[in-house]
Amino acid sequence: MVKGITNLSKISEWDEAAARHLLARTLFGYTKQDVEFALSQSLDNFVDNYLLSDQPEPAQPGYWVNDPANENNTERTRELIYWWYNLMITQGYSLRERMVLFWHNHYVSDVSKVGLAQRMYWQNKLFRDHAMGNLIDFTKAVTLDPAMLIYLDGTKNRKGAPNENYARELMELFTLGIGNYTENDIQEGARALTGWRVDGITPYFTESRFDEGVKTFLGQTGNFNHEDVVDIIFTQPAAATYFCRELYHEFMHVAVDEPSVEAMAQILRENNYNLKPVLSTLLKSVMFHTDEVRGAKIKSPIELIIGTMRQFNVLTPDYVYMRQVADQIKQVLFSPPNVSGWDGDKVWINTTTLPARHIFTDAVVNGKKPNGGDLTFQIDLVEYVRTFPSSEDAVQLIDDLATIFLQFPLSENRREYLLDTLLDGAEVYDWSTNDPLAEDRLKLFFKAMLRLSEFQLS
Amino acid sequence: MDRREFLRNLGMVAGAGTISMALGNIPVRAFSKSFLNIQAVNGKVIVLLQLSGGNDGLNTIIPIEDGLYYNARPSLGIKKEDAIKLNYLTGMHPSLQPLKALYDEGNVAVVQNVGYDSPNRSHFRSTDIWLTASDSNVVIDDGWVGRYLAKVLPDHNPINPEHPMAIQIGSSQSSLLECTCQGSMGISFESPNQFYQLINGSTADNDPPPNTIAGNQLKYIKEIAALSIRYAEIIKEKADLVENKVEYPNTRLGRQLAIVAELIAGGLETPVYLTSIGGFDTHANQAGNHANLLSGVAQAIDAFQADLKLLGIDDKVVLMTFSEFGRRLNQNGSGGTDHGTAAPLFIIGRNVYGGVYGNNPDLVDLDNSGDIKYQYDFRQLYATLLTQQLGMPVDRMPDVLMKDFDTLPLISETAGNLNGPTSFHLYQNYPNPFNPATTISYFLRVPLEVRLDVFTANGEKLVTLVNEYQDVGNHNIRFDASAYPSGIYFARLDSGSYRKTIKMALVK
Repeated sequence: MVKGITNLSKISEWDEAAARHLLARTLFGYTKQDVEFALSQSLDNFVDNYLLSDQPEPAQPGYWVNDPANENNTERTRELIYWWYNLMITQGYSLRERMVLFWHNHYVSDVSKVGLAQRMYWQNKLFRDHAMGNLIDFTKAVTLDPAMLIYLDGTKNRKGAPNENYARELMELFTLGIGNYTENDIQEGARALTGWRVDGITPYFTESRFDEGVKTFLGQTGNFNHEDVVDIIFTQPAAATYFCRELYHEFMHVAVDEPSVEAMAQILRENNYNLKPVLSTLLKSVMFHTDEVRGAKIKSPIELIIGTMRQFNVLTPDYVYMRQVADQIKQVLFSPPNVSGWDGDKVWINTTTLPARHIFTDAVVNGKKPNGGDLTFQIDLVEYVRTFPSSEDAVQLIDDLATIFLQFPLSENRREYLLDTLLDGAEVYDWSTNDPLAEDRLKLFFKAMLRLSEFQLS
Repeated sequence: MDRREFLRNLGMVAGAGTISMALGNIPVRAFSKSFLNIQAVNGKVIVLLQLSGGNDGLNTIIPIEDGLYYNARPSLGIKKEDAIKLNYLTGMHPSLQPLKALYDEGNVAVVQNVGYDSPNRSHFRSTDIWLTASDSNVVIDDGWVGRYLAKVLPDHNPINPEHPMAIQIGSSQSSLLECTCQGSMGISFESPNQFYQLINGSTADNDPPPNTIAGNQLKYIKEIAALSIRYAEIIKEKADLVENKVEYPNTRLGRQLAIVAELIAGGLETPVYLTSIGGFDTHANQAGNHANLLSGVAQAIDAFQADLKLLGIDDKVVLMTFSEFGRRLNQNGSGGTDHGTAAPLFIIGRNVYGGVYGNNPDLVDLDNSGDIKYQYDFRQLYATLLTQQLGMPVDRMPDVLMKDFDTLPLISETAGNLNGPTSFHLYQNYPNPFNPATTISYFLRVPLEVRLDVFTANGEKLVTLVNEYQDVGNHNIRFDASAYPSGIYFARLDSGSYRKTIKMALVK
């Protein structure tokens, strides 16, 4: 078993390997130009002034997000998905959309229960507003978020008839983790959370539904309301530990090293639950940049789908096909499997989803769906490889492409296999992008490279 | 493409490139050479048919003499004269006509009021409860089939044998086949050809990944790739060995069952198949939709059973339907029905003791939401399939279902034999103990001249309840003991050649 290291001091070498790893874990895929840009900046500047910078608010997907009525919900949900895909693809050098997805998988809601795509939009905006902000403010906002009030039955939680659903998940899945509260805390917390309902896309409070009695919650006693509940939760040391374990999962790998999590949690507490300091420290740290971590994460379907587009610089992709693929490989946005979100890691890969991932990358390279229909975009592979100075040198070209597409180092066997595929019987000195067969050979080559198991790792 | 070409594409044929015999070199657990030992599951197969969305049990199996049913469903109720009569109290939706002949042959068991304690009316949660076989208030991650395959079957079989341990026909993988201890115990695909095409062109590779966190992740992905490659070939091979002997309806379910029949007949030793069809969430405009759904199910099952018979494997296979819940007694304002609770399900096969098990739902004693109370826990049916069809020892039941459940006498090698003692079945009366009346039920597999008598504990005949030539099927006879004192009584069913007796307790 591999032992984790706890080392949050800054790396001394900001080189190409470090830049590639940082980009792979913070964006959805990257290009050669992205690596060059990152390296043109200092590590501090790139992390603090690009990845963690505040970004302008994106335009809404449509007027309908303000419509309190339920109409065309299926189409609106799809529109919302496409809108978010576009933000992920065009996000620039910002960690924000990655964090929004992280929060979608943390403060989970499902459109099928929430009912309105509009509510999912406003929740998504909330995640974006607080993506790298203060966890206490964020958690208070989530508590009154209409989608969340509906998803976890907050609207049914009233004086005399408490519904414990949100109180339970708030502590179990959102802030503290099991074992850090009692069943009594859930009951008392639920009482403090009473009184809120949703009208269309607006939360509202009804005094008579609020339980104004004295509650004893996590050891404190008083006439608490929803804000007090969140404030008291964040007095618990377990809260910082819980969030940092999730961040460790997200940015490092699944084999969590508890001492490292505790070191991160210390930073989070010292900064009063503001996220940026701990993120900044982690992304520059020796432990984040250690070889052990590189290529150790299985890409989520969204990372795979969006990342492949970005790697090929496809800025206006086939959104409809992307959503179909996301469905096949099991990550439909706004429809997580349950309140704990997508399990991630190995659960992403089974005998159906792995071949389906291969079919997807084949389709991107071919410009055709598996059923033969054209995609809405076509990648000119010859033009694409000509953006690499090594385009006429088959051996070097493969190495250069592998540094964009693969986070896992290529073995000698794999490199040879890819070279054989690219040359397709020709000699290495015969390779030229001017060859009429170059396009076909590049298709074979890219399909083979993207079918390597290594491509599934980030 | 032929097999050799397929292997060539995998780089498994010598001289086909730089990656010859690639599969052999990774130490993957999938490459155990032992075949799944067919003895361990008695050579038997279960086929599960999931009706997603919550099938309306009350319009599937109809209480044709119950005025409460017709009051609650003024426009949706299936009229007595339209229903297919199973016995004098119970009918079947007319769209299920294709199942009538199977029922008359004694191959269809209808189990009434299947559900669980503290029912959940969420599709998702209740589906999970059915798939994981958990109690209503317990959340677990793995499916009951996954636990069976991971924990019980390996008593005699390697994990990940040559043939897949379970197959789901469909593009997603159900948690039914998952086990937290092993991961996925089965594979899923739309069709053998599509799966084969999906895999076609994949290459397995023999680079040993380094022993690092990343290396272990890579190893896992390579194992899954190798598994799908391996199984795609055997599945295609087995599917190509035989052809369906009947024409299936050209529906999603028809195609699914056709594939299952081919694979079993081709000799694939996979013991569990999962098929599914959706659309049963009939909140609005139910009448036509539900009729179409049921007719689709009945036609597909009818073709499947006919095919199994012609393929000579009808004694191997038992099919069970299930749905996450039934629907509310009262129809709603949109010509539909809302989420309910307990409902009937079907267990079908040559080795099934056909008939109606359990009573018509009690429409007086409903729960607080106006829903039917369950009579059989759904896990009793799982226990029945596991022990009677797959031959699981009874003492392993807690490994799969977390506790012990009573089974129902539903499946046996001799069930197909219509002569002799199995020509009828006398059930325990219900309720028992009783006061002052109870129902005595029996099932006739062939038309018989029967006599039903009630005796006192001293052997004195009290009353003859039935004495006539009766049709095949379930018969429910009411015994009113208002006039008799408390005590033990016996009911005896006599067909001339055979007799069966039950003991009943009248407690006043």
